[in-house]
Amino acid sequence: MNLAKLAPGERGKITKIGALGPLKRRLMDMGVLVGEEVRVEKVAPLGDPIEITVKNYKLSLRKSEAEGIAVEVVA
Amino acid sequence: MKSLALKIPPAPAAQKILTVAVAGNPNAGKSTLINAIAGTRLQVGNWPGVTVEKKEAVLEYQGQKIRLVDLPGTYSLSPYSEEERIARDFLLEEAPDVIIDVIDATNLERNLYLTMQLLELGLPVVAALNIYDEAHNQGLQINTRAIEEVLGARVVPTVATKKRGVEELLAAMVAVGDDPGARRPRTVSYGTDIETAAQEVAEEIKRLHPHLEERYPLRWLALKLLEGDRQVLQEARLGGNEAFAGGQAVRHLRQAHGEDLEALMADARYGRAAGLTREVMKKAERQRTELTEKIDRWVLNRFLGIPIFLAAMWLVFKLTFDLSAPFSDWMDQMINGPFKRGAEALMTLLQAPDWLVSLATDGVIAGVGFVLVFIPVIFAMMFFITFLEGSGYMARAAFVMDRAMHAMGLHGKSFIPLLLGFGCNVPAIYATRTLENPRDKALTALLIPLMSCGARLPVYVVFVGVFFAAYSGTVIWSLYVLGLGLAVIMGVLFKKTIFRGEYPLFIMELPPYRLPGLKSLLIHTWEKGKHFLIKAGTYIFAVSVLTWFLLNLPWGVEQKKDSYLGQAAAVVAPVLKPLGFGNWEAAASLITGVIAKEIVVGTMGEIYTPKAKDAKQEAAPTLGEDLKEMGVSFLAAGKEAVLNVFSSFGSTKFSMEEKEKNRPLKAVIQQQFTPLSAYAFMAFVLLYMPCMVVAVAFRHEFGSWKWFGVAFGYEMILAWVVALAIYQGGKLLGLGG
Repeated sequence: MNLAKLAPGERGKITKIGALGPLKRRLMDMGVLVGEEVRVEKVAPLGDPIEITVKNYKLSLRKSEAEGIAVEVVA
Repeated sequence: MKSLALKIPPAPAAQKILTVAVAGNPNAGKSTLINAIAGTRLQVGNWPGVTVEKKEAVLEYQGQKIRLVDLPGTYSLSPYSEEERIARDFLLEEAPDVIIDVIDATNLERNLYLTMQLLELGLPVVAALNIYDEAHNQGLQINTRAIEEVLGARVVPTVATKKRGVEELLAAMVAVGDDPGARRPRTVSYGTDIETAAQEVAEEIKRLHPHLEERYPLRWLALKLLEGDRQVLQEARLGGNEAFAGGQAVRHLRQAHGEDLEALMADARYGRAAGLTREVMKKAERQRTELTEKIDRWVLNRFLGIPIFLAAMWLVFKLTFDLSAPFSDWMDQMINGPFKRGAEALMTLLQAPDWLVSLATDGVIAGVGFVLVFIPVIFAMMFFITFLEGSGYMARAAFVMDRAMHAMGLHGKSFIPLLLGFGCNVPAIYATRTLENPRDKALTALLIPLMSCGARLPVYVVFVGVFFAAYSGTVIWSLYVLGLGLAVIMGVLFKKTIFRGEYPLFIMELPPYRLPGLKSLLIHTWEKGKHFLIKAGTYIFAVSVLTWFLLNLPWGVEQKKDSYLGQAAAVVAPVLKPLGFGNWEAAASLITGVIAKEIVVGTMGEIYTPKAKDAKQEAAPTLGEDLKEMGVSFLAAGKEAVLNVFSSFGSTKFSMEEKEKNRPLKAVIQQQFTPLSAYAFMAFVLLYMPCMVVAVAFRHEFGSWKWFGVAFGYEMILAWVVALAIYQGGKLLGLGG
């Protein structure tokens, strides 16, 4: 399961960040870390990117970027 | 204060100036806070070598001189973006006396992540806990004393928009700056494993690379080497990670926590930030649905998101234009009326030769007029763009549009430079620096000239006023859309040809909506507007004087056609004939328009409007009448601006066309053009080569003429082809020749 597959309103706990280099560092700097719980808020009107809540703030990222973030769904 | 100053002798002349660096996350209200502290004392410039904006101010607080330096807003001090590198290099190289860390109190944890990294530098830190009122309203209770104890740094709650806490912040700066030894921040421990490993690396540095200790704070360097920081490894010439793979403690760290020490460090910093947040902050039992969420339900809505976005953009342009037009008009009238008349009368009195009077009035004063007329529209545009940025909507615009931008190989953030391009292509070119990937940066810059800038607007206004007065708004809007449409086509074309490869990241905060403070907004608008005025204003002025020479030399030419400009234009005109405007007058105005597009109208004015001296003399008002008229018409302009805004949307007429001044020019244009050729001409003006100032911006931003060369080439071809298609296509459809 990855973050891009979550529907708006669903929560997930990050288990792995597959991205490399600047993308990974950027995600981590923004608080997207393994073990962190995130919630998908919205999908942009044109279907991409998505908006998530992480660390109590709103972050947007493309689905292609979210695909590299493995999550387990939190009920 | 005064009595105190008498007792204490003044400090010696070589008094130390405190250097204070202001760091903080984007959207933490850093600009507003700096505006609140320094106000109009701010000097705006660029960081050396790059074109990221640098704000600086020198101020005095209780006899202490303070040099305030605004660092670019960053989330971290990793070396991956230009902004982060600038902030980091400044902190390392200049070792400021105090770092002001602007923290968004409503978003404590993520902001403290940067704070942790600032503390690693070992420099004195004063934390400004900004947006404190909003945090309070959200039911967040923050124990500032507890933060001070843990970090060993002063914490001052501030509300930059209301100027609250500014005095206390200044006092803290001075107090900490005065006594830096005692105010070093505490070392915030990242746990035994990391600290032991860092200690080991530090020992190794001391033993093997003692020179590095002089360049970097030791603990910071050790931590950076642990996480394998690219820039530090490069600067220290230590090659790869291997150099520090050695010691027992580092090996233990890798065994216990995995190979990815960069992730481990991020975890550790966030861990401390989260721990501290839990310790010092109490949340209210029940959190209200935030205003931001309510707004976003509409603004980012699946169906409404794009219509709202388009409406917002349209509104911005309507407001910009309608508010500023009466004032532009007023300035135009004043310069070309009373001011010109006065100068003329004065010079005649002094028995100045004819050519000098002409140069002064038609060259110099008209040139000043060209510049001044743009002040209102440029400032209004800057105001609304700044409002969009400060309110948080700009990020939503990028979110809503990213998919579309991405299809053209662009980034959602490309939208912002492209949008700025509608105001002026020049700042838009500079704004491409927000794009990290050089390829997409270049692609964005190439498409910017297709965004119809403010300088093209006066050309449309004159032509639309003559031929399409009844639906002026719609026609002008269609030109903007034409530019956008072509940008899409060219974007895809470029993406598939010159540009291939990876796309940049799209990882962007959607900050809470906030009402930007009016004063901060005005200061910001003024800064940006002033920049335009100085850069473009000087240019426009110089060019209109130059144009006067081109038009009037050789001196004594009876016909404009025989002037140097006319001769050049006659050569170019045949090329434009298939486009419907193959006369030398149009060609001449297009030639001068290359240097700045609004000059197209100026040149046309010079060429088409004969100097009607007799007409002027018959009814020249007295000086008294002129002065009275100035005041009365300014008030009228203000009233008109207000009425414009509240007038029914869509049916706005441009006030300029009603005015006397342009009447002679418009009469001639009516004879020289048809509606069809006028539209083709406007399309040509939209598309043909960007102005010289844009060329300079390209050169500046990319360090070579290469990308401007590409832009120049494709635009010339595109302009000719599109104008041809409009004119010839229109004729075929029977729209008249």
